[in-house]
Amino acid sequence: MVTREEIENIALLSKLFVAEEELDGLTKEMDQMIAFADTINQATDAGEEFDNINGLQNAFREDEVVPSYPQSEILKNRDGGVDGFFYVAKHK
Amino acid sequence: MSWELVSGLETHVELSTNTKIFCGCTTKFGGEPNTNCCPICIGLPGTLPKLNRQVVHYAIMAGLATHCTINNVSKMDRKNYVYPDLPKAYQISQYDKPLCEHGYIQLDNGRKIGITRIHIEEDAGKLVHEHGDTFVDYNRGGVPLIEIVSEPDIRSIAEAREYVEKLQMIMKHIGVSDCKMQEGSLRCDVNISVRPEGSNEFGTRTEIKNMNSFTNMEKAMAYEYDRQIDLLESGGKVTQETLRWNPDEGITTPMRGKEDAHDYRYFREPDLVTIYTTDEEIEAIRQELPELPDARIARYESDFGLPEADAQLLVKYRKIAEYFEAAGEGLANKKTVANFILGQIFRTLVTDEEKENGAVAIPPEYLHDLAKLLEDGKIKMNLAKTTLDKMLETGKPCTDFISEQDMGDIDEDTLRTICQSVVDNNPKAVADFKGGKDKAVKALIGQVMKQTRGKADGRKAEAMMVDMMNDME
Ligand SMILES: [Zn+2]
Repeated sequence: MVTREEIENIALLSKLFVAEEELDGLTKEMDQMIAFADTINQATDAGEEFDNINGLQNAFREDEVVPSYPQSEILKNRDGGVDGFFYVAKHK
Repeated sequence: MSWELVSGLETHVELSTNTKIFCGCTTKFGGEPNTNCCPICIGLPGTLPKLNRQVVHYAIMAGLATHCTINNVSKMDRKNYVYPDLPKAYQISQYDKPLCEHGYIQLDNGRKIGITRIHIEEDAGKLVHEHGDTFVDYNRGGVPLIEIVSEPDIRSIAEAREYVEKLQMIMKHIGVSDCKMQEGSLRCDVNISVRPEGSNEFGTRTEIKNMNSFTNMEKAMAYEYDRQIDLLESGGKVTQETLRWNPDEGITTPMRGKEDAHDYRYFREPDLVTIYTTDEEIEAIRQELPELPDARIARYESDFGLPEADAQLLVKYRKIAEYFEAAGEGLANKKTVANFILGQIFRTLVTDEEKENGAVAIPPEYLHDLAKLLEDGKIKMNLAKTTLDKMLETGKPCTDFISEQDMGDIDEDTLRTICQSVVDNNPKAVADFKGGKDKAVKALIGQVMKQTRGKADGRKAEAMMVDMMNDME
């Protein structure tokens, strides 16, 4: 069972604002999603092993340099930090 | 009781590809922080990795060069751990189907150090800790690595060093990595335990992380070996843990955080497809491999008659070995060429890096031409040596310094005339000689050499002058 507190916590970690009145609905939806994943456990047939659903293999990229992004773009969403570095906030 | 050291190494080698393992960003070392980055290598949601073909190619080369079996079927896995140097909170690595397995490196004492596996993975970013704050640079994040895991076959610190040196030499030779420890493109984690001499059981091991120089590795291993023995002899037990070497204090301390023993929850990387390599492809890569260092050293000894130490020095730097072979091409006496390189030429290549780059001031053809004149008896060793110094100084060919008159022997009469004039003009040296100082002749020979620009036969000149002086009153 997913709890209201867990949804609050996930929202906090994801930096999403969730209004008080949305919490119950989201808790219920998340619970259903996880319950759906549980149906896999009910499978009795071992099934067939496969690499990927499209049958792809050896999808490679050639070793050719592509311009990187400007530093300002890369750092756009950073929180704090100086001199072109990302900053890691200390554990509270 | 005497204790045996048991050690196995995990060696991370950064591959010399142009681009990162899963995106087209450059792998160039250095640069302003976070300038060699894109949404893929900083792990933004919605991006997809795409495997660099060259990474697979290099890893297979590394495997073949260390006698590994190459797996036809291989795949990538996610290794989950949460630490700021990994923007995705997982590292894409290989778990149960690495590219290469079951190889070995042979040491000079004949012992084989088994290689359990070689797998490919992405490097993490660099963390800078300052006043309790942490800053992150992802330029290194996503740079391709191979991790070479050895069996616990190493039995001494010297063997550990030799194993890493051999590995380094092989990887540099086949061109998959520059293996620069100071830049972090080769680093080792050392697993170490002790057991009573003669025992077949393994003791509890500890792991020392991130050794980035031979000195640190040797010191850390020596410290850890002593620490474990002290513990056991005083009735204690070794705890299995991950340690960090503190070079300032010369001690190992337990690591906290990132490397605490935990479950990495490996699972298949769903964004990357299986890597299939056919036997034909593996064979083609094997054919492409250059001659390996051990084979090259053996060939220099047996075919060219070089002493082992000289052969090892030449082969240590692949570009020097290539220079040597190019310069010696078609010459009967390769030893002379080797001596020129290890003597005069090495004196102009001061640092390891200069030797590494084979940055000799003259092309190998110039050295070849000089050695050829010597071999054909057209010039004498003395002249060859002074000429080589001039060539190295100016970067010019030997013909710029040796004229037609310098070549060929000086006839007896000319030599006699020169010797006579030297004896006549150096009464002091002559008096010294007659007073019993045999060494005084050396000074006179020097004079003759100077006047003949080094092409006189030193022995002949000596004999002539000794006769002359003995005939004098
Ligand atoms: Zn990138």
